[in-house]
Amino acid sequence: MANSAALSRPDEGRPVAPGGPVGGSPVPPAKKAASHRLRFLLGVGIGSLIAVGLSYSLLSQAREDAVTARHQRKAVVSVLALADLVVRTGEDGEAIRKAVSAWREQAPAGSQARVILFNGLSLEASTHPGEDAPRRLKREEKELYDQGQRLRAAVETNREEGVARKEEIEIVPLVGGSSRLAAPLEREGAVIGLVEVQTPTAGVAPKPNVLFALLAVLGPVALLGILALLLGERRNALAAIALGGLALGTSLYAWHSISTVVGDRRAAQEEVADYVRTQAQTAQGLLTQLNLPLDPPIVASRWDANVFRQPRQLLTAEGKTDEGALGSQLALASSDATRALVGVGILALLVMLAIGFGAVARLFSTFISNRQAYAYVAPALLGMLVLVFFPFFYGITLSFTDSNLYNTSKPLTDLWVGLRNYVDILSDFEISRSTPEGGRVVNYFNFYWTLWVTVIWTITNVIIGVTGGLILALLLNTKNLALRPIYRVVLILPWAMPNYITSLIWKGMFHQQFGVVNHVIAIFGGSPVSWFESPFTSFLTALTTNGWLSFPFMMVTSLGALQSIPIELYEAARVDGASKWQQFRSITLPSLKPALVPAIILSVVWTFNQFNVIYLVTAGEPGGSTEILITQAYKFAFEKYRYGYAAAYSTVIFGILLVYGTFQNRVTKATEAN
Amino acid sequence: MSAPGERTTHVHLHLILGAAVLMTLYPILWVATIAFSGNQSLAISTLPENPDLWDRLRAITPWPETFSFSNFTSVMTDQPFARWMLNSAIISLATTVVGVFLACTAGYAFSRFKFPGRRQGMMAFLVSQMFPGTLMLIPLYIILVQWLGLGSSRIGLILVYATTAIPFCVWMLKGYFDTIPKDLEEAALLDGATAGQIFWKIILPLAKPAVAVTALFSFMTGWNEFILAATFMDQELMYTAPVGLRFFVGGFSQQWGYFAAGSIIVSIPVVALFLFLQKYLVSGLTAGSVKG
Repeated sequence: MANSAALSRPDEGRPVAPGGPVGGSPVPPAKKAASHRLRFLLGVGIGSLIAVGLSYSLLSQAREDAVTARHQRKAVVSVLALADLVVRTGEDGEAIRKAVSAWREQAPAGSQARVILFNGLSLEASTHPGEDAPRRLKREEKELYDQGQRLRAAVETNREEGVARKEEIEIVPLVGGSSRLAAPLEREGAVIGLVEVQTPTAGVAPKPNVLFALLAVLGPVALLGILALLLGERRNALAAIALGGLALGTSLYAWHSISTVVGDRRAAQEEVADYVRTQAQTAQGLLTQLNLPLDPPIVASRWDANVFRQPRQLLTAEGKTDEGALGSQLALASSDATRALVGVGILALLVMLAIGFGAVARLFSTFISNRQAYAYVAPALLGMLVLVFFPFFYGITLSFTDSNLYNTSKPLTDLWVGLRNYVDILSDFEISRSTPEGGRVVNYFNFYWTLWVTVIWTITNVIIGVTGGLILALLLNTKNLALRPIYRVVLILPWAMPNYITSLIWKGMFHQQFGVVNHVIAIFGGSPVSWFESPFTSFLTALTTNGWLSFPFMMVTSLGALQSIPIELYEAARVDGASKWQQFRSITLPSLKPALVPAIILSVVWTFNQFNVIYLVTAGEPGGSTEILITQAYKFAFEKYRYGYAAAYSTVIFGILLVYGTFQNRVTKATEAN
Repeated sequence: MSAPGERTTHVHLHLILGAAVLMTLYPILWVATIAFSGNQSLAISTLPENPDLWDRLRAITPWPETFSFSNFTSVMTDQPFARWMLNSAIISLATTVVGVFLACTAGYAFSRFKFPGRRQGMMAFLVSQMFPGTLMLIPLYIILVQWLGLGSSRIGLILVYATTAIPFCVWMLKGYFDTIPKDLEEAALLDGATAGQIFWKIILPLAKPAVAVTALFSFMTGWNEFILAATFMDQELMYTAPVGLRFFVGGFSQQWGYFAAGSIIVSIPVVALFLFLQKYLVSGLTAGSVKG
């Protein structure tokens, strides 16, 4: 039945909508394109949902944060006001207890406080039910004493270093939304104890208005719906209206969100200012009541501080809101919020356009019709994306930052240094510098020195590998050679051995005192060499090791190519009277070329990247002189922990390999063309 | 057909080849000598105060002064080497399973389906082989160790090794799947088989040799890898065999006997595998599809 329906469809012809895209590329009749109006309606709907939904959740998060921040600010005012009072009593126990109970009376219901003095390890005052004061601290209350010592250390560290690095107020959130704050009692520069305050629970943040959100979603949809009825299927007009509607709805909602947040902040500021004023009045009253010195006068605005006890400077000395400071802080906050909301808006617009112009539909239908293929590829592709491509691009991004071991948790934008790492690496031409004694020493950490070593390393190794491999292959290719299979298996062993083992073995054999190599030298009358104490001999050890493990690859490759040369060629040459050397020049070498060229290209890359041999045999000794680029990059990353610099270094290596790769491509093509 | 006279002309060839064999075998014999010597020194024999020629010759002759298995037994029992071998084995086997599974499915899709993104996907797999190791190492370290907390964990290494091995395996398997005639699948389709059945019941059994080679290759990737393991595994108990062998003789540690015995135990399986695999590797390598 389904078949007959499908068959009858071409007969219906294409309905030509008035104003529709007539004369465009023919649409396959079986696939009726969805109407532009529907697409754009859907696009605007989903786009607004995304924009408004994200903004709504950002807004409600911001309001919750604001409530917490306000709560914390008031708590800090509380604890600092109390600390100020207690310090003014001059360690007089009776006065401290009076101050604490007076503080308790005006504090929000549910507040509790403790005062601990280091002198005598005493719990001087407490409002916690069931705790009598004054008395000595009990053994199980050692945590309070430790906390005091931590605060003392923090205050002293910050004072010595002249920076605010360690928190001078400890804030511990408790279950149920309240928190416990501890601040040091500082008298004439010395920390003499601590005040601990437990706050009542923070209020619940008001939810953002859902009605506005609904309006911001439905408004643009309704607008487009009505206008679409008038416009019909005119795609560009529809797109323009959809764009305008979505932008309008989203920005209105963004404006609403920002003004809500700003309003919240302003209200919070007023509340804190009020709180500071009441606290100041209480304190003032108490000081007169207890006959305590009023000098120096109370500066209540300093109680509104951050965790480093630095005043926030949003209050004037009289405890009024400083409008200028508040204004600039609000401007900063709203520009942050605007940036986030603009990002959200752009995302929504892109989604809307993708749906409206049918990109999503096309993507979806491609995906559906090839779903089997994608299902088979997806797992491998996902793994590659997460563990190969993402790290690759992340590594390149790192190369523009100053990332190191200690700041990896910071966002990369904070660490951005632009091209500085590359400039540092590439523009440092000071390969050697003169010493005070008049000689010159090479700076082994210079990029160009390491590059030079790497190039020499690669060239010498490839020459050794090719020569050794080719000679052995020619010998093994001799007709009727006895023991040939045995030779072949034995000579391939270095390739089969894991190369880190090979490297460690050779490192042992080059040992200055016990190594076999020095014994052999001694047999021929030489004196033992300290292989790793001069750059040249150190380089030789690595060269020997790599030569030993890399010739079998060339040997096997050449042998394969040699065996495929037809024997008739040589017979014909012999008949023509060609010498052995002529035969080699004009038959053997040209026939080897197709196999040998790719093998050489490959072994250049291998040697260039031969990490294990250098890292395990010479380890760069002496003083980093035998480091190649890749081991140097590793050392910058994992011995000096300069991730950003090392990433830039590695990116430069990648660049060199890319240049080599294009060059190699050209050579390969030229060889194939011959 | 070869005349006896012709054979004698090979003497000089045998001399050169013999020298090459000696050079090749010497380091291997040396490590075997240390392994069977029963002590930790890297000297074959202790030289007297004023050594004569014979003493020196003795010191380079790869034959232990005393013959003992003690290095082998104590490296496996007193040292955590058995544990390191176990780590290596688990990691390599898991790498093989994950890598081969992913490579088989992807290789099959690249070989049999025509879909948008196929060419780009295959190119992406190939290009990824050019990414230099250290450039990948730093982000991988940050992602796996600092973000995901997978430092000193087998899972982290397994994931990295498997994805490292995938591109080579995918290309190798795709090449092999291409040689399996399509008629088989068409016949099965006519008989009503689903795509899944065709893949699991027809294609995979036919591709057994190629699957075996990719599996062995993945295994060797995991078994022989040193840098990543040395960077990620910083707890001694979680070392893999390569990191452990370096631990015996790296820095100020001079336990050459354990190193030698361990090296022999670790090398035997891979050397055997390699000799078995070499002809596939050679053809795969010269096709230019593996990274160094």
